[in-house]
Amino acid sequence: MRRPRRRASAPAWLALAISSLIGAAAPGPSYAADADTIARGKYLAIASDCTACHTLPGSKPMAGGLPIETPIGAIIATNITPSKTAGIGDYTLEQFSAALRKGIRRDGQMLYPAMPYTAYAKLSDEDVAALYAYFMNSVEPVDQKPVETKLPLPFNIRLSMAAWNLLFLDGKPFTPDASQSAEWNRGAYLVRGPAHCGACHTPRNLLMAEQASKELAGGDVGFWNAPNVTSDANSGIGGWSIDELVAYMRDGHAAAKAQAGGPMAEAVENSLRFLTDPDLRAIAIYLKSTPAIHDPADTRPAYMWGGPFDDLASIRGVPLPRDRDSWSGAQIYDAHCATCHQDKGQGSFDGKLPSLLHNTALGTTNTNNVVAVILQGLHRQPDVLMPAFADALSDKQVATLGAYLIENFGNPAAKVTVDQVKTIRAGAVATNSNLVLIAQAATVAVPLIVIALLLIWISRRRGRRQDASGS
Amino acid sequence: MERRHSRPPLPTLRPDASPDPLRRALLVGFGATYVLSLVPFAWAQAVPDAAMAPFMALSAVLVGRPSLDPAQAKRLYDALAANDPGFPAAAKQLLDTVEQRKIDPMQLQQTLNDENSPLKDLPRQVVTAWFLGIVGSGKNARCVAFETALNAQVVADILKPPTYAYGAYGSWTRNPAEGPDHG
Amino acid sequence: MADILSADYIVVGSGIIGSLVARKLALAGASVIILEAGPRVTRGELVARFRNSPRRSDWMSPYPPADWAPHPIYQPADNGYLIQAGPYPYPAEYIRQVGGTTWHWAAQAWRNLPNDFRIKSLYGVGVDWPIGYEDLEPFYQEAEEIMGVSGAPNTGSPRAKPFPMEPVAEPYAMRRLRERLASDFPVVANTTARNSRPYDGRPACVGNNSCQPICPVDAQYHGGLSADAAEAAGVQLIANANVYKLEHDESGKVTAALYYDPDKSSHRITGKTFVVAANGIESPRLLLLSTSDKFPKGLANNFDMVGRHLMDHPSTSLTFDADEDVWLGRGPQSPSSINTLRDGPFRSEHAPYRLDFTNISRVDGSTKSLIAAGVFGPELEKRLRHSAAREMNVKNVLEVLPNPDHRITLSSEKDAMGIPKPETHYSIEDYTRRGAERSQQDFRRIAELMGGTNLRFSKDGDFANNQHICGTLSMGSDPKISVCDEWGRTHDHENLYLAGTGVLPTSATCNSTENALAVALRAVTHMLAQQGATSAPPPRDADERVPS
Repeated sequence: MRRPRRRASAPAWLALAISSLIGAAAPGPSYAADADTIARGKYLAIASDCTACHTLPGSKPMAGGLPIETPIGAIIATNITPSKTAGIGDYTLEQFSAALRKGIRRDGQMLYPAMPYTAYAKLSDEDVAALYAYFMNSVEPVDQKPVETKLPLPFNIRLSMAAWNLLFLDGKPFTPDASQSAEWNRGAYLVRGPAHCGACHTPRNLLMAEQASKELAGGDVGFWNAPNVTSDANSGIGGWSIDELVAYMRDGHAAAKAQAGGPMAEAVENSLRFLTDPDLRAIAIYLKSTPAIHDPADTRPAYMWGGPFDDLASIRGVPLPRDRDSWSGAQIYDAHCATCHQDKGQGSFDGKLPSLLHNTALGTTNTNNVVAVILQGLHRQPDVLMPAFADALSDKQVATLGAYLIENFGNPAAKVTVDQVKTIRAGAVATNSNLVLIAQAATVAVPLIVIALLLIWISRRRGRRQDASGS
Repeated sequence: MERRHSRPPLPTLRPDASPDPLRRALLVGFGATYVLSLVPFAWAQAVPDAAMAPFMALSAVLVGRPSLDPAQAKRLYDALAANDPGFPAAAKQLLDTVEQRKIDPMQLQQTLNDENSPLKDLPRQVVTAWFLGIVGSGKNARCVAFETALNAQVVADILKPPTYAYGAYGSWTRNPAEGPDHG
Repeated sequence: MADILSADYIVVGSGIIGSLVARKLALAGASVIILEAGPRVTRGELVARFRNSPRRSDWMSPYPPADWAPHPIYQPADNGYLIQAGPYPYPAEYIRQVGGTTWHWAAQAWRNLPNDFRIKSLYGVGVDWPIGYEDLEPFYQEAEEIMGVSGAPNTGSPRAKPFPMEPVAEPYAMRRLRERLASDFPVVANTTARNSRPYDGRPACVGNNSCQPICPVDAQYHGGLSADAAEAAGVQLIANANVYKLEHDESGKVTAALYYDPDKSSHRITGKTFVVAANGIESPRLLLLSTSDKFPKGLANNFDMVGRHLMDHPSTSLTFDADEDVWLGRGPQSPSSINTLRDGPFRSEHAPYRLDFTNISRVDGSTKSLIAAGVFGPELEKRLRHSAAREMNVKNVLEVLPNPDHRITLSSEKDAMGIPKPETHYSIEDYTRRGAERSQQDFRRIAELMGGTNLRFSKDGDFANNQHICGTLSMGSDPKISVCDEWGRTHDHENLYLAGTGVLPTSATCNSTENALAVALRAVTHMLAQQGATSAPPPRDADERVPS
């Protein structure tokens, strides 16, 4: 693969356009832009969900500071407000573009791909310029620098990202497929570019790069599972209509299908619900066209499991055990869940308190999301609030409840264990010390191996020369 | 667009229960033509246990429903019999009385009161079990059904039983005649 | 009896008042211990108990009394804990468990009207409070921001700042009342501690219609949340601690609280300041139990005022069938009322009142009535649906004047722990009866405007008890006719404070909790000033109180 040696430089006509707007090619960064461009930039920033990482909840927008947990440690998002001392105030458009699409900072250091520059590489030049205009003009500068990221050796050597980029960064912006409709192309652009769906929904390889051959086949975000959203009828969203997909992205739920929780709830809350209807349709059209990636274990779609199950009649008049760990699944469901999800799991009349039947959350074999939502609840602006039950339920109760829910409303092959509950209750993914150790060992071992090989090669050469010359 | 919504369907037979001709014959064999006239489809009712047949027929008459959930019936019957071992016999006796004298359900309580019948508490007990899900009285009262009690079922198109959420915040502002907001 | 547990403040009672007093003290840096007679219970258990109850309309059935901390229950039979000496019964219901009685209230959180503080001066009845509305105003606001209160604006109680959120959405049935009564009565949204949006990490109301006896989702504020908040603020809460006596030194300063655990072992806790917040019956009971050579009549009782001036808000009501389908039971239980009859010159003649409209589902009640009336067969279902769709009810909430003969005393009977039971002496006076009589006109007019048929008035002479136990620890400036001053500080003991609805010297016409809470929060500022501390900074701006 050729080295992406070329520096990011705007095409000449764009530079001309910008300089004509500002009157002259000034030496320092020039921000001026018209209101339409800024508005478009704002929309793109929402579509790209910059705020998800770059805004600490409750703090000033884009000021950074949010630690993003990865298996190799926490990566702290930077301040991308136009502050000259703490943010990107001194970035030129070219530098902004390089950061966004190549993962290269103004000072030449590389960014970790927790910043999804591999996706933003697809952004068009016009869109990058609009984003730049928005950030430089509309975002309030915040002169406070967040803590620097400190990863363990060897991951703290940012230059190693150069090698990673060599392998995994496809530096080309999105090229439309002429054989597809404009709508499809818009969808493809959004999914692969700004909305960077694959960052969560595509499985990653050992070196934590998205596996292109398995685009959107499902991935993990900490303990949350981002499901397969390829066009497969059983494993993916093949059975969803366009309207259902649009409803899910816009409202955070689709009746008799699913609702967004955890990180997806945030994606809907911060980004997707603000996209235009045509853009959401385009995304849906694209998703439904993706190559179907099928897991043979999926014998039916995740939303087709479960039937109304009425256990509560059998516990009426039965006293509750004193020890809460001895409560049956039906008793736990009755005391804590039936209130909103109703006695047969059918949800409220208006569907706003969701049905547990025909609900992908309970139909998948990966049960992490169910446990996570029971423990943490589900908050989604503007008005969705399922409370957290971490305080109300013990680990054993969550496991009993999880098993009860899945057995009655979901996929009977799925399991919930007490250990799983303990792990998820403990919170963010712990640093994967194995991975770190392996990498550290490799850092030491690989050069030693290379040196050893060199020595062997040298001694062989000498040997051959001696053979050749001697005797 | 005006939304019309219908009452929930009456509880149906379990799919795997086939009406046992023997059980059917039991009811018809009572010569229960009057009772059957009150609840025409009772003959098709699956009965888990032959001893329950009079209770089922009596229940159907008293609650005015031709078809009753057999699992629920079993639960109630067991609870009623546990509360009073004489209950099964008394139920049969009352059923016979109603049949022989062709007593209209609305006249039944008055008739039993007037005669100071030993069976006068029975209709109340049966109906309280089905409609309120409660068996026994005073300190011996026990809940055997709540959501599945008939009084909850009868209004289930408009109301939820207390403690069950109605819907998202504000969902109670609509005129119930318009049906629920399906979002 | 080896414990030597001690704190700056010992609070007896973990109900909404006791817990929020303790919390405010702890936030100011004081060490605080709450002693609660009853056990801890979780919300999930309460929901399950309700659903499994054979007496769903008995709102005490999810709250069985503990043997070591009994409270009165009346179904299936009167447990004989609260002795009724008459002439009129006072069958109060209260809950001795962590969080207290507001686990099962309807969350009505009204402020008094300004004139309620001066009915003696204005109308020649009752007594004047030692403080005015303006003294309490900022503490009403504080209480409302803690609890998450909202309601119709302009119901007669002036506000300096807005409610923390919008009023709760109006059920269809109440809207029809409001529309059809508009010619004669303004029907307004109740002022309630019920979320109309997510607040403080708790969801908005989702219409469970079971506020009494339990809100399954904590959209309604209650004492259980207060107790949690107190513990989160650093208060040490000891449950199953039935305080049976307060001890004092030679100077009359209270020095210790003695309590029984469930095995009837006695424990002793010492402190610098004591706050009794154990509801309007158990608090005077404790004071009366705390006899000694120096105080043979009990504590704070030099002029024999403890337990006197027992009051409540009695109710009579009218049930009728409206001429349209309104379907009560959708949304919260107490959404709307008429508040224009709470004040006026007539107060010198008869009791003022609010008119409360219920939104409690009619289903269980109608089912029982129809079965009792022998309605069987298909007619039963038909009539049940009709009642469920059309039945409505309005009740009055009447003021009762303070009368020293209405009181709580100690009975000669003893409870399971060997402690004398509380005894009530009560009657309904003419002032209140005249108010009830006057309200009948309003009941009839309301039924008329709703096309009402099948009018069923509550039995003549029957007044329902509303569990608003006030007056028994009346505050006032004259020690001869009151138990404590405007700060809740007992006249007789400098380090003994009282907090709770018992402290309110008149009942006025609105539910007591908000008023008692505002009085208590104000009292805390004084308690802290006495110890040289300042109270915590004002609570965060209401806008910030959103879930993270």
